[in-house]
Amino acid sequence: MKRAFLRTCAAPALMAASLAAAPWAPALAAPFTCPERGGDLVFGQEANVNSLDQMTSSTISTRNIAMNIYESLVTRDENNNVIPELAEGVEEAPDQLTYTFKLRQGISFHNGKPMTSADVVASFDRYKKIGLQRSTLDNVKGWDAPDPNTFVIHMQRAQPTFLEALSSFSVPIVIIPAENKDDPPQQLKPVGTGPFRMAEFVPGSHARLVRYDSYKPNTQFEQRTGFGGYKVACLDSVTFRIVTEASARVAGLETGELQGVEDIPTKSVEAMRKNPSVTVLPLKNWWIQIALPNTAHAPTDNLMFRKAVQAALGMEDIMDAATDNNYSLNVGFQYPNQPTYTDAGKETYNINDPDLAQKYLKESGYKGEPIYILTNRDYAPMYNAALVMQQQMQAVGIKAELKVTDWPTSVQMSQKVNSNEWHFFHSGWGTQPALGALATMQFLASPGANYRPRDDKGDPEVEAAWSDMNTKPTQKERNEAFARMQKLVLEKALAYPFGSLTKVQAVRAKVQNFEPFRIPRFSNVWMKK
Amino acid sequence: MLSVALRRIASAVPVLLLVSLITFGMMRLIPGDPAAAIAGLSATPQQVAQIRADLGLDEPFLVQLGRWYGGMLQGDLGRSILMGKGVAAVTMERLPVTLALSAYALVLTLVIGLLAGIVAALRQNTVIDQFAMMFAMIGISVPSFFLGLLMIIVFAVRLGWLPTGGYIPLTEDPWGWFVTSTMPAISLALLQAGLLARITRSTMLEVLRQDYIRTARAKGLPARQVVFKHALTNALIPITTVVGIIISLLLSGAVVTEALFSIPGIGGLLTQAVLNRDYPMVQGGLLLVTAFLVLVNIGIDMLYAFLDPRVRYE
Repeated sequence: MKRAFLRTCAAPALMAASLAAAPWAPALAAPFTCPERGGDLVFGQEANVNSLDQMTSSTISTRNIAMNIYESLVTRDENNNVIPELAEGVEEAPDQLTYTFKLRQGISFHNGKPMTSADVVASFDRYKKIGLQRSTLDNVKGWDAPDPNTFVIHMQRAQPTFLEALSSFSVPIVIIPAENKDDPPQQLKPVGTGPFRMAEFVPGSHARLVRYDSYKPNTQFEQRTGFGGYKVACLDSVTFRIVTEASARVAGLETGELQGVEDIPTKSVEAMRKNPSVTVLPLKNWWIQIALPNTAHAPTDNLMFRKAVQAALGMEDIMDAATDNNYSLNVGFQYPNQPTYTDAGKETYNINDPDLAQKYLKESGYKGEPIYILTNRDYAPMYNAALVMQQQMQAVGIKAELKVTDWPTSVQMSQKVNSNEWHFFHSGWGTQPALGALATMQFLASPGANYRPRDDKGDPEVEAAWSDMNTKPTQKERNEAFARMQKLVLEKALAYPFGSLTKVQAVRAKVQNFEPFRIPRFSNVWMKK
Repeated sequence: MLSVALRRIASAVPVLLLVSLITFGMMRLIPGDPAAAIAGLSATPQQVAQIRADLGLDEPFLVQLGRWYGGMLQGDLGRSILMGKGVAAVTMERLPVTLALSAYALVLTLVIGLLAGIVAALRQNTVIDQFAMMFAMIGISVPSFFLGLLMIIVFAVRLGWLPTGGYIPLTEDPWGWFVTSTMPAISLALLQAGLLARITRSTMLEVLRQDYIRTARAKGLPARQVVFKHALTNALIPITTVVGIIISLLLSGAVVTEALFSIPGIGGLLTQAVLNRDYPMVQGGLLLVTAFLVLVNIGIDMLYAFLDPRVRYE
């Protein structure tokens, strides 16, 4: 675990302030050591990996592998707090216009080359040019490297949330060797600084990572935490095998060909629990199951109609169908274990009151026109949730019809400005809620690819709360702004978060210290012989 | 013969052009945006638009088509949007995997299908005939996906004889390839073997009733010679046509089998490409697969002439 004083650094601004006062000192307690070393762990991954270029891919399947290879300046810990990774610390100027990162010493890339600030500059240059979330750097005036161990970011304007954005693991700014800065998009050579290095990548089949013997753990910590901390590769190698078929993953786990799997279907969970050779590991709060109304089109532009639908919804039934009973009821857009969680707006959640729904419906002036629920069959939870939502809406007198497409089509339809093709769009939010309130609520700030109010003009009150979330100087004020925004969004029925889905992972019993997280982490994991 | 082959190859060019045009047009007609797929849900409209511009997807249809054909004339099929690699290179990485699996399945299909069909015809209306046809019916009726799953449970989970999935290239480790490809090949082959058995049986029965067979038998030729030299050789002509179709079916059927057994073949690649609207990958990959199938069919046509002297092309 981190030293006690670091635990107080929940907020990025606090972290910077602490670092300004005193650099993070080495950990006091004995750091993690591998009880046993060796072995090849074969992990059954459910989705294909197109590329391992972590700067230009937002897919989970890429992150699963790449986040064991690459590291960033700052990242997130187990509780989603910002922590240093390749940076020893960061100093924020009083005017918040300069961030000075001191780099950890003795770090080398998998090609053996020592990491310096020149590599950090090159990494930021590449990200600014082709990084998928290069908007993170929109407010950055520039960066430089005054010496080989220092990297400085100059801001255009003060941005209190900058470190939070910089530490995002959605499409992180990973640090690569300077010589790879001109690698084209999706073709970044897999050379990082992480505890595992790439040995073999056969697209569509597998990726094999082996221990990087020269890896230097971060001595500011004692244990792995989140994506950072004190990381050690106990395993000789980790092979990510692409096993898209759920039954095949279960069979592989049963036979011991796979020592871990990313996801097992609900129908197999009980059998796996009874198997003494397998440890079942539920990963709670994997994503928020959600539907978004089209506020640019009648009658979902009408608040009373949206509230009628909200009053009709029974979340237990929707989540049960969506997840095969692997869910938690959850108000809003953060999970209860997160520091920014709030139940603001809870009175709008899981109302399930047909009489109230019919009252609102009457007030809305609904005339029985067809209401189209846009969903897809690529993601079974979205389709099943839409089916139950349709039935619940029909039960209160709404002529609800499903419009089923594939996922890319439904995304494209949902993104059209002033679209009249749909009324409710079903989705699932995974990474952003895990990243925190700021990352999540950008979905509901106009214009977002997923939120297209009429003429892209968002609700003024919601927009004001969003602005406060980004600009208020203290974390407390920003959290309050988030609570206000969540309450507004729920009260105005601008989104219907149904609950959170639990993903069930599993490993062979001999695999130790594998703790489910946003991506499977293999540092500090060992296998009993 | 050579000029026939060249003529057939020349006639394949319009086919390929048509296929390329249809694929290109279809991919643009279906909704779904590759830029949105790449950008992810959290992207702003500006980011999606930027990616679309980076990929040249905001250009008019004809400009995009012209650029693609222009590239093809220089041997460049484009670059996969999702993988960033050349389409031809990616296809050539994956196609051999599917071809090797399909070839294995084809051998099994021919051995099982032909044998079952011939034996059933020779033992018409006996228990052997009924058993062979029952087997063929099962092969035709049971979906390959279900059969594959059953085999995994029995041969991998229960008996532990074969791995549940994975793939080892033939060039790397022939025995490993054989072990990892056996269940997928069987699950692919049984459907086609059932089909081939039924066709072989009916064709053989028809040939065996011909006068020249009766004559051969009356002359006192050994049964083996009558069956294999006189009957089967003539029956092979319609069977060859079916085998040509079976090769196409094996390639397309590999999509499901590859997913079930985690095999990195062309089927999974193209399915992913379609689902993610990776236009260049779908266009180029399908064109190469089509070219291969056209070549197979030309080969089959050539085989007719070899098998049947009555067929005269020149």
